[in-house]
Amino acid sequence: MNRIWSKGISLLLVSIMVSGLLISCTNSSGNGDNGEGAEGENSYKLKILHNWNGSNGSDTITPVEEVIKEKTGVTLQWEYTKGSETEKVNQIFATQDLPDIYTGPAWGGELDGIIKAAKEGQLVDISDKLKDYPNLSKSIAEENVPPALYEKAIDAYDGKKYLLLQNQPATNEDGMDWLYGFYVRKDIAEKVGVDPQSVVTKEDFYNFLKKIKDAKLQENGQPVFPLGGFSNGWAVGIGNTMFYSGASYVDKGDGTVERDFFTKGYEEYTLFYRKLVEEGLLDPEAFTQTDPIAKEKINQGRIAILAAHYPAILDASKEYVTSHPESDYIPLGPLERADVEPNRPVDLGIQGNNVTAITKNCKGACVDAALKFLDFMASDEGFMLARYGVQGVHWDMKDGKPAANQEWFDKFSTDTNMKQRKNEGISIGLESLTGLDRINSAAGGDIWAEQERLDAMEQARKILRPNGIHVITAYNPGDVITKAPEWEMLKPSMDRMGDAWKEAVFAKSDEAAMSIINDLREQLRNTGYEKAMQFTNENLQGKEVVTVQMPN
Amino acid sequence: MIKQRITNHRLMKRIWQHKLFYLFMLPGIVWFFLFSYVPLYGIQVAFRDYTFVGGFTGSPWAGFKYFEQFFNYYQSGDIIRNTVIISLMKLLIGFPMPIILALLLNEVRKLKFKKTIQTLSYLPYFVSWIVVVTLMQRLLTPYGGPVNDLLGSLGTESIQFLNNPTWFYQMIVGSDIWKNIGWNSIIFMAAIAGIDQQLYEAAKMDGAGRFRQMWHITLPGIRNVAIILFILAVGNLMSAGYEQLLLLNGPATASMGSVLDVHAINSGIREGRLSYAAAVGLFQSIIGLILVLTVNRIARKVSDVSLF
Repeated sequence: MNRIWSKGISLLLVSIMVSGLLISCTNSSGNGDNGEGAEGENSYKLKILHNWNGSNGSDTITPVEEVIKEKTGVTLQWEYTKGSETEKVNQIFATQDLPDIYTGPAWGGELDGIIKAAKEGQLVDISDKLKDYPNLSKSIAEENVPPALYEKAIDAYDGKKYLLLQNQPATNEDGMDWLYGFYVRKDIAEKVGVDPQSVVTKEDFYNFLKKIKDAKLQENGQPVFPLGGFSNGWAVGIGNTMFYSGASYVDKGDGTVERDFFTKGYEEYTLFYRKLVEEGLLDPEAFTQTDPIAKEKINQGRIAILAAHYPAILDASKEYVTSHPESDYIPLGPLERADVEPNRPVDLGIQGNNVTAITKNCKGACVDAALKFLDFMASDEGFMLARYGVQGVHWDMKDGKPAANQEWFDKFSTDTNMKQRKNEGISIGLESLTGLDRINSAAGGDIWAEQERLDAMEQARKILRPNGIHVITAYNPGDVITKAPEWEMLKPSMDRMGDAWKEAVFAKSDEAAMSIINDLREQLRNTGYEKAMQFTNENLQGKEVVTVQMPN
Repeated sequence: MIKQRITNHRLMKRIWQHKLFYLFMLPGIVWFFLFSYVPLYGIQVAFRDYTFVGGFTGSPWAGFKYFEQFFNYYQSGDIIRNTVIISLMKLLIGFPMPIILALLLNEVRKLKFKKTIQTLSYLPYFVSWIVVVTLMQRLLTPYGGPVNDLLGSLGTESIQFLNNPTWFYQMIVGSDIWKNIGWNSIIFMAAIAGIDQQLYEAAKMDGAGRFRQMWHITLPGIRNVAIILFILAVGNLMSAGYEQLLLLNGPATASMGSVLDVHAINSGIREGRLSYAAAVGLFQSIIGLILVLTVNRIARKVSDVSLF
């Protein structure tokens, strides 16, 4: 009897273990088993990947999504990226774990990945259907897309269309200027006796950092770093515009361009930052720290000068500033710009930050449902729904302009982690799908921003943009070089430039730093840089080219 | 021929006799089949120009293009060198550590204390590298980290342990040992437990102290296990550890910490060069296989102990 029991239990255990192993290997994604697809006669569930690192939404269907369902019949099932966006785009196509709609960054490896997917039959061709969706057609009309990007990503598939572009400004007044720069804590500038606006040249900047260091400031028993940034070095490197024109491809003076990495200015820029690290003026953890650690330092008041865009600085420093009045961050300079006239407006690349595509996972009725949904989001109604919430609930029209309802304004103003906003359906990723950015020309600006914040932004704008801004509309050589026959060989070396710069900044000596830069330059030449640049310059002949650019 | 048949028949008969015990091997066999043998067909991607539409089997052949690209890459020599240096350090310093821990634990007579130490030493194995590295960042930072605070209170200047070439190898090898020592000691503890207790009794009667017993009985008793594990560990010489190096390597230590594992995964996942990544991975595996075969052969000649 015991023997039978023992046999039975053994068999049961083995069966459980083997079936557990097999079940865990089973792919649970795909149509049907995850709730995607037609839900009823007028209802469709779409799986959407919002490929922006750190983005998130609500656990339940939000009021905004209810409106979308009512207007388009579409229910959304969101997936958000945690980690590298480039890795994510490569991963979904390599594993074929595809969403119905992909939406993500319109630059770098993410854009290259999605273009590759389009060329390899992974996305749905929407060229025949676009005529029925006027808002989508408008968002990728040739006149509404920067020229090189249009040729590279939109009209690059023998007449077929796969990608939709979002958030490129409809008019100049819609161009979002993020006000990138170096911002110093007001109390620290006063303590070391330096007027932030008197810091103009790179020497001024260096001397200011030195003064802060020499003041041996401490917060909670910890030293205050003269210069710091956010996670993984963002955006401490923006001082490059003091050494060369700031664009990735700079004018050689003979009508051709070359990659900034090969210029003398780039060498000086690298060695300047190396000096900052060597002399303890730049937080040595700035390039390796995570976002929580970076924000913790800001919250503890341990960073004197921050390099980033102003909204990020305002958000990160809010807590510290509330408990330490007069410690708000204010802009330096404006700092000198190399190789440009002093009174030149600031050149900003505002070319749309998001691309969206329907993947081959979506077929038949799914494609129509997806297009209907995307077209609605790209309409003025969808644009305001994504940003302001439900009309009549969260906001209303007052004097012909959208205005926040006080009840929600008060709720959102204390909503530091955005949880309440997300529960209502605002900032959950829908704003990535709303076609051309017309926040000022067709909508009412940022209705949720507090007056204090708007004033701070305006004040910073006055300081940093004394000559206004110039929205770049020219060809970007970076989009053209990718069509060179040598690109496949060249790209891995090009991708290393950022890492090589960081390594050079931490090198033991100036010579070692230059050796790192020169080794990569040699590798770039060996993998076809010269020929690829020749191709690029030939293709850019007679065209206006981006050779001056400030971060944005 | 007939003798062979009889042997096979006996083996099958023996397996059938103990079929319940063999049944317990089934999950392991299924696991190996699914995760170690089925994916082998994907090796071909190293010799193809991988496309999303063609996949593993339909993409066009590319020959040795991606192997050439790797060997022509200006840092391939550095990457291979770094991988071998870090792996060798882990092997030479890290390999004896679990043996030492097992020997020490074997000498502990208080069972409760022994069990507590054993459990505590296993725990780090189950902590992911991301948590380990975050802990290291918090503990070792010169700006408010307890380790540097302690050094400061002893009058020593604070030390930048992470992203510092001077401390890089110590951090890599030290954290690897801390994380794996307990787990890796289990097999040696098991081997020690299998040693015939009569040998210790006899040694005691001959006047052997505890050190002599350890030297002449325990160590020879676990020798075979140690050799087998060493042969297997040598196979990983071209693999220095992906997660650990990805997280602990920074711009200041890149010249020492760029390794094959990170290079392969970055090329494949971050840059989307799957064929290239597969070629680098295959290169690692082939070198690993050659090393295992070589060390196995040497071990068989020197000590009569080998994997096969």
